[in-house]
Amino acid sequence: MSHKIGLACIIDDDSMYVNLVKRIVEAKKLCKNLMVFQNGMEALNYFEALLKNLDKKCIPEIIFLDLNMPVMDGWEFLENFTKIKSKIDKTITLYIVSSSINPVDIEKAKRINSVKDYLIKPVTIEDLEAIFLGEVL
Amino acid sequence: MLQNELFNNVIRDFNAGYWELHVDPSREIWSEKFYEYLGFDKKEIEPNIDYFLEHLIHKEDVDVFRDNFLNYRQNHINFKQHIKILTKEGNYKLFRCATNDELPVNIKSEIYLIFFFEIKLEPEQDISKDNFYYKETAQMTATGSWYVDFHKRKSYWDFETRRILEYPDDYIPSLKDSASYYSEDCRQQAADLFFNCAMAGTPFNTEIKMVTANKRIFWVRAIGKPVYNENKEIIGIRGVFQDIDDIKNKELKLQRSIDIIASQNSRLFNFAHIVSHNLRSHTSNLSLLVQLIEDIEDPTEKINLIKEIKQISSSLNTTIEHLNEIVVIHTNKDQERKLIKFQDALNIVTNGIGQMISLSKTTIEADFSQLAEINYIPAYLESILLNLITNAIKYKHEDRDPVIEIKTYIEENTKYLKVTDNGRGIDMKLFKDKVFGMYKTFHYNKDAVGIGLFLTKNQIESLNGNIAVESEVDKGTTFLIEF
Repeated sequence: MSHKIGLACIIDDDSMYVNLVKRIVEAKKLCKNLMVFQNGMEALNYFEALLKNLDKKCIPEIIFLDLNMPVMDGWEFLENFTKIKSKIDKTITLYIVSSSINPVDIEKAKRINSVKDYLIKPVTIEDLEAIFLGEVL
Repeated sequence: MLQNELFNNVIRDFNAGYWELHVDPSREIWSEKFYEYLGFDKKEIEPNIDYFLEHLIHKEDVDVFRDNFLNYRQNHINFKQHIKILTKEGNYKLFRCATNDELPVNIKSEIYLIFFFEIKLEPEQDISKDNFYYKETAQMTATGSWYVDFHKRKSYWDFETRRILEYPDDYIPSLKDSASYYSEDCRQQAADLFFNCAMAGTPFNTEIKMVTANKRIFWVRAIGKPVYNENKEIIGIRGVFQDIDDIKNKELKLQRSIDIIASQNSRLFNFAHIVSHNLRSHTSNLSLLVQLIEDIEDPTEKINLIKEIKQISSSLNTTIEHLNEIVVIHTNKDQERKLIKFQDALNIVTNGIGQMISLSKTTIEADFSQLAEINYIPAYLESILLNLITNAIKYKHEDRDPVIEIKTYIEENTKYLKVTDNGRGIDMKLFKDKVFGMYKTFHYNKDAVGIGLFLTKNQIESLNGNIAVESEVDKGTTFLIEF
């Protein structure tokens, strides 16, 4: 199976989770490159820098966003990301991946246009495969 | 004759019941009104004194009336008397009877008349009954009436207003000092209500605190409305005060209970989410790890992954310890409070972190002169001070050595502890709601765990206190604790 997705991005402060997803992505060869940001601020800095020096190769096709993070949480990132998203000429699919089962969070996420879906941790290997492979269908 | 005519007109207009005397008793007449009063037709009764005394007047009044009547007829001696006269319906009506000089006009007549004015017994009884009910109602509901007269610049209170405000019955309310009838924190409210009512005619119906003559503060329902004259000008305000102190205090007590329950409920809800979220992040990692182990064929790789379980297990433990600490706070809140000197608690804390303080060249300026001690759980006070001091040192400004000011004081019966630092500050626009959240950190420090302030807040709130924060980036942070 060849790589279908070039670049994916995880924004999550849980290093254990990030590590495990990395391994799954490698083992299943789900994408060529995986970027990791420990919180919304780090990710936002990257995207803002990207706007100045637009290199399509550096724009992830998929973002997995956690909600509870220090410094800048998922909500704040989303707010800022929505503002700059339109300036990026590439389809970015964003998933929220959180261990929060609070219905308030889930409802709030569904009302945000740039959010494709809300995944509750734990995600399964099948979920990840479906998302990565589903992207090219 | 002219005078007589005038007089007749007056009498007709006056529409009174009268008996016109005559030298010849057979020519005496009773006025239409008099017949009307008694309900008899002219043919049914005879308008003379003998018939009157025998058939119409009540026995009790016969003797006196006969004397008065004869005296008046013969000697023109005026008289006044109350008499009861039989009506056609068979009952007696009470009349005030009087002679010429009782006439409300200044005409001397040559005719001699006896006027009969009906005394309406029933309505008068009604008024006294109403008055009785009014007094009873006023007393039973503790509702006093009052009136403010703008022209006379006077205010009037009824007996019940005086009673609920604990003033003597002969007390004359003062319009000038009317503000003093309200508790200090309600004077503005009272002034606004009266002003709006007087100027714009806005009626009011409100709950307000008043002060009695004995300086007792109590809750009153104050209702007032404007009084207008014929020209639609507001000439006064009329209203009532009802003593609702018992009800209001119960309501306030209930509201406090509701607030406490609501805040406890919200903490529990919060805690449930924290537990759920924090445990889930570990269990989901565990589940993902197990999936991976099952999925991978290579045995060495599998063994490497199994080692990761140790990491997850240790994180899980740390989380559970943190959660335990919170549970302990809420079960410990009944722990014994002791009178602690702030200075003693501070000494214990600074001794414990002496090295941290000296290495960071931190200066602590403590002022406990206004409030030296407090009845509190010693461990909590130490924990609060420890958390705030270590935070101030951890997040010090890179250009200057930390200075921490600690001050205690009392304001409006509430005890406060204020801790101010000159650190790098927190961006309140971004982090206002998150300062006291669990696992929330605002700085890039590696050792930021995000549990300290969460615990501090929980400890303070478990003892019904409050903590607030003010901060400015690059200037410093102030934590204010209300005990």
